[in-house]
Amino acid sequence: MLWGSFRVQRRVIAALMIRETYTRFGRENLGFLWLIAEPLVFALPVLAMWSLIRAKFEHGVPMLGVAWTGYLPLLMFRHIGARSLMFVRVNAGLLYHRQVTILDIFAARTLLEILSGYASVAVSGLVLYMLGAIDPPKNWPLFYLGYFYMTWWCVAVGLIIGGLSERSELVEKIWMPFSYMYLPVSGFFYLAEWLPDPIRKWALLVVPPLHPYEMIRSGLFGDVFRAYYDVPYISMMYAVLTLIGLMLMRNVREYVVVE
Amino acid sequence: MIRTNGICKDYRTEGGRWHRVLSDISFTVAKGEKIAVLGRNGAGKSTLIRLLGAVELPTLGTIEQTMSISWPIGLTGGFHGALTGNDNMRFIARIYNKPFADIKDGVEDFAQLGKFMSEPVKTWSTGMRARFAFALSLAIDFDCYLIDEVISAGDQRFQRRGHEELFEKRADRSLILASHQPDIVRSYCSRALVLHRGRGKVFSDLELAMQIYNDL
Repeated sequence: MLWGSFRVQRRVIAALMIRETYTRFGRENLGFLWLIAEPLVFALPVLAMWSLIRAKFEHGVPMLGVAWTGYLPLLMFRHIGARSLMFVRVNAGLLYHRQVTILDIFAARTLLEILSGYASVAVSGLVLYMLGAIDPPKNWPLFYLGYFYMTWWCVAVGLIIGGLSERSELVEKIWMPFSYMYLPVSGFFYLAEWLPDPIRKWALLVVPPLHPYEMIRSGLFGDVFRAYYDVPYISMMYAVLTLIGLMLMRNVREYVVVE
Repeated sequence: MIRTNGICKDYRTEGGRWHRVLSDISFTVAKGEKIAVLGRNGAGKSTLIRLLGAVELPTLGTIEQTMSISWPIGLTGGFHGALTGNDNMRFIARIYNKPFADIKDGVEDFAQLGKFMSEPVKTWSTGMRARFAFALSLAIDFDCYLIDEVISAGDQRFQRRGHEELFEKRADRSLILASHQPDIVRSYCSRALVLHRGRGKVFSDLELAMQIYNDL
């Protein structure tokens, strides 16, 4: 029974993902390859700029690596967030088919962003490696684990943004400044090690993405800096955020009027 | 069988108040039964069809079903305008787990859209959309079809074919049809649910129901 409904869900989500790729990228020229190309179009010029204007090493850490591990998760965060805004309203027509649930729509859109994010990490990483700009991760499991937690964080925020934005249009207005403020705060630009002690304590407490940033960078650079992360703490925090997001999603349908 | 038990539907108005569109609607549709939903504009016909199709959820009450019910076949909903007919068809075949080739044959035969199938649905005429929606739902094969006005958008040939499909080839299927057109209601349905000011009553005498509807 449960297995059967899981299979239905998997089929529906796959169909939604294909449909989403068609509607977003069309069927002509690159098509779904845009999924990979789109983040790269953003990321590569930014990375090139960084390598021109910043010193090669700061505090003994290669800055291009910092930018690379900083910018791509940021893009994933922004894209998942933006895709969650009013995601039911813009897809209301899908609710005509009873086996399509709100969580299926969310899952399809988010999975597509995650895949696109991962693919662009792989492609840009390979390009930078071949150019000699970065070394392969010193600690692959930690690098992956960092990305796992980063993804979880983005999905939890997506659920909350998605659930809230269907209730109030204010959320859409707030999202823009929020995603800009996220830029300096999130851990894109800095390592926890660089912060003064009292500020670092606070940052680790209240900036959830700082921990996975530290893990990803520690995985990439190895022991050249001291990484600060607390896996049980963020596991708990992300679980709570996910739960809040799912609760907000649960009765979202009451707020959506389908044409 | 489909049974609704006292379903109500409220909508929030701009002023923040609640407006009850449907109030305490109860009726049963048995296998093979064809029932019309009559009511003036704004009486809640489309709302009822959407609730039966699970597009929206009732505020109160329950809907029991032992039959598979189609999505509401109307001029809006169910399709993506930017996608071609073929891509919409592929998507629907996937989510209903039907082989694309079978569906394609059925739809091509019935809707006869030819080369328009590879054009975006938003460029189609109303009649073409009606044919497509109807043909696709027939190809998926449901026990009960929910049809919202769409038959009247088709031409004579389409109406004749629709009648043939639902009565000769699929006589055991049920139909819930919202329509304003007396001749369509007469040729498709044997009973009617008349909606007025949120209330609903089922009449087994179709002519009586039509008369009451005309006097509303």
